[in-house]
Amino acid sequence: MYADGSTDLLKGCACGAKLFFFIRKEKLEEQQKLAESIKLSQEEKIQMEQDVLGMLTSRMDYDAPVVLDLEAVRVLRPGQYELDLVHLFQGQPLIYRLEEGKYVIDLAESFQQLRKNV
Amino acid sequence: MISLIKDFFSKFLKDLFKKKKHLRMGLYGPPNGGKTTLANRICKDWLGEEMGAVSSIAHETREIQIKEQINIKSKGKELTFNLIDTPGIATKIDYEEFMKVGMVEKKAKERAKEATKGVIDAIKWLDDMDIVIIVLDSTLDPYSQVNITIIGNLQAREIPVLIVANKIDLKKANIKRIEAAFPQYDVVGISAKYGKNADEFYEALFVLAG
Repeated sequence: MYADGSTDLLKGCACGAKLFFFIRKEKLEEQQKLAESIKLSQEEKIQMEQDVLGMLTSRMDYDAPVVLDLEAVRVLRPGQYELDLVHLFQGQPLIYRLEEGKYVIDLAESFQQLRKNV
Repeated sequence: MISLIKDFFSKFLKDLFKKKKHLRMGLYGPPNGGKTTLANRICKDWLGEEMGAVSSIAHETREIQIKEQINIKSKGKELTFNLIDTPGIATKIDYEEFMKVGMVEKKAKERAKEATKGVIDAIKWLDDMDIVIIVLDSTLDPYSQVNITIIGNLQAREIPVLIVANKIDLKKANIKRIEAAFPQYDVVGISAKYGKNADEFYEALFVLAG
């Protein structure tokens, strides 16, 4: 959040964007008070999430296309995976992304695939 | 010129060996389409035994299953093939989906890991298939990324394909929707569970195998 007259508004924020959302001070205080007055337990938060997700036609959007960067398999967290099928079908190097900047490459498999394609 | 000669010999040798071995027929498709139920139907009809376990929970088959030398006969014709049942292909695998049906977290995560490896293995095996049967749940929308990617790739590899619209015993089944989605391939509607239209399916296999 940037104060009125901040030089960042002219230079742009840390992410490089120069588009800012304006909110009046009174409105901001009002929202902060409202947020503070609602204290939710972890169970309540989970229940809310489940209720909302239950209202959606599909929970995790299994139909949404998955197009990954250079990796074939992205591990979101233990037990949750996204697979780039086009990448796998094309026989490109088998690269797993564990997290931002952390990759594991199956070299043996990648070389085998390379030999097949030659 | 050299590459033309090389291509000719490689095709000649490939064809020569292809004729000697049994056909390898792969069952492919998204999870819960009924691949293993169909594999069991084929095995029960022609070998008198089942091939693998089926479950209403997705990703029950997480390893490639092979049944060798299945011999089917129809109207004086005979066809022998090795049947390869593959894990369901998916773009997203989430252990929480397994937990929703009562699986404990540790087991669900393990299943998700195995299912992910299963998808990679299934795709790897595609190069070894002579013909492919795509098994789709006819009650679901066929226009999914998984279906389109699988079928598009098979078409590019020029592998003969037959699409099976499974679960036609269910009210919501819609074969026409699948036919409209993939007009380039023959579609056979069956109920692998109850054996409905199995004869038509076997007939289509003969046509596919040439």
